[in-house]
Amino acid sequence: MSNENITQEEISAMFPKAAEMIADALGCDLEKVQPTTSLINDLGAESIDFLDIIFRLERGFKVKIPRGKIVEQARGPLSAAEFEAGGILTEAGVARLKVYLSEVPPDRFQSPLKVSEIPKLFTTETFCKLVIRQQRAAPAGETPAA
Amino acid sequence: MDGHFRAFSFVDRITRPGMNVRGLYQIPSGIAEFPLALAAEACGQLAAWTGMAAHDFKLRPVAGIAPVVELLAPVRPGQLLELESDIDSLDAEAISYNALAKVDGVPVLRLQHCVGPMVPVEEFDDPSALKQRFELICGAGALPGAFNGLPSLPLEVTAVDPGKSARALLHVPASAGFFADHFPRRPVFPGTLFMYQVTELAARVAAGVAAPSGNTSWVPRRINDTKLRTFIPPGTGLELEARLAKQEGAALTIHVEAKKDNRVTGHSRIVFMAEARA
Repeated sequence: MSNENITQEEISAMFPKAAEMIADALGCDLEKVQPTTSLINDLGAESIDFLDIIFRLERGFKVKIPRGKIVEQARGPLSAAEFEAGGILTEAGVARLKVYLSEVPPDRFQSPLKVSEIPKLFTTETFCKLVIRQQRAAPAGETPAA
Repeated sequence: MDGHFRAFSFVDRITRPGMNVRGLYQIPSGIAEFPLALAAEACGQLAAWTGMAAHDFKLRPVAGIAPVVELLAPVRPGQLLELESDIDSLDAEAISYNALAKVDGVPVLRLQHCVGPMVPVEEFDDPSALKQRFELICGAGALPGAFNGLPSLPLEVTAVDPGKSARALLHVPASAGFFADHFPRRPVFPGTLFMYQVTELAARVAAGVAAPSGNTSWVPRRINDTKLRTFIPPGTGLELEARLAKQEGAALTIHVEAKKDNRVTGHSRIVFMAEARA
């Protein structure tokens, strides 16, 4: 699924409501949830929080977000072997991830990068894009919530 | 006697399995009390049976997130709980559901948008025993009356600023009957008992706030945004802090946070309403 043509306008429109849901899920002040905030490193999010955020976004935007498939989506056209080896992203994998997570400042991509550490890169914008992709993927006839 | 399916099991019979699962639980008449938190546990267990059956008893949900718990009416020993859990989504990562408990057709407790992360059954319980139990409760049903009541779960209140905040230590017992059932292979303090305890502490704070009129008192009516971030094993000491977050007319919201070694392990927001004294 292509995501590179998600516009900044779409993300900006999504951001206020998504940020509010993320702040509620993490029990933090709304001001702390900025577009490039890393949810794990900056706000201390844990796996249960990601689950909470995903379900809040699903309810709030009336979309179904495929759980456990974010890494699969990030891989795009690459095979699993092209994307990672022994739990470490390949050079091609990192390049692909930088495209998929284009909202993440480049200096946050550590080298080597473990697959298990990918969620540390997720920002508020990552979740906005996730919702936008699912809204676009909604079956014909279903009107995603604004 | 082995406490498995006796010490902390609250579904006697499943009358309709599936994604809109229905069940019954006969509250034993010989126990002193049956807190509404246990009706919440019964609703969660009903949903859990659907979750386990769908994954052929390889995965099970555990308590995680309860955005809204409405405490509608008290229940008493001897009453029959009618349980409904409607599953919104179910996969290998999590189950989400809404649920209702009723007595004589009247709602006593409602859960909204609850989420339980899935974990491997084998770490917590015997899959074949669970499968047998599921067949029993989907068929003839289990014999009621196995639950002997909750042990004393004292809160050690360490500080109270009347009407503003309170601190307490929650000493999770090192051994208790319910651990044999929750869970046999890996005992964990039930999330619903966590909710019960934090509501008790929040009530200490509410008691210090003047009610809007002389003949009213504060009654807990909703438990919002409960989240458990970690399993709480037997013998754990948790530091609880309850703080008045908001007072608007006849409603009070009290935020309670639990910490272990300075790490937040769980939290809830309890909403109290000023109601006429009975």
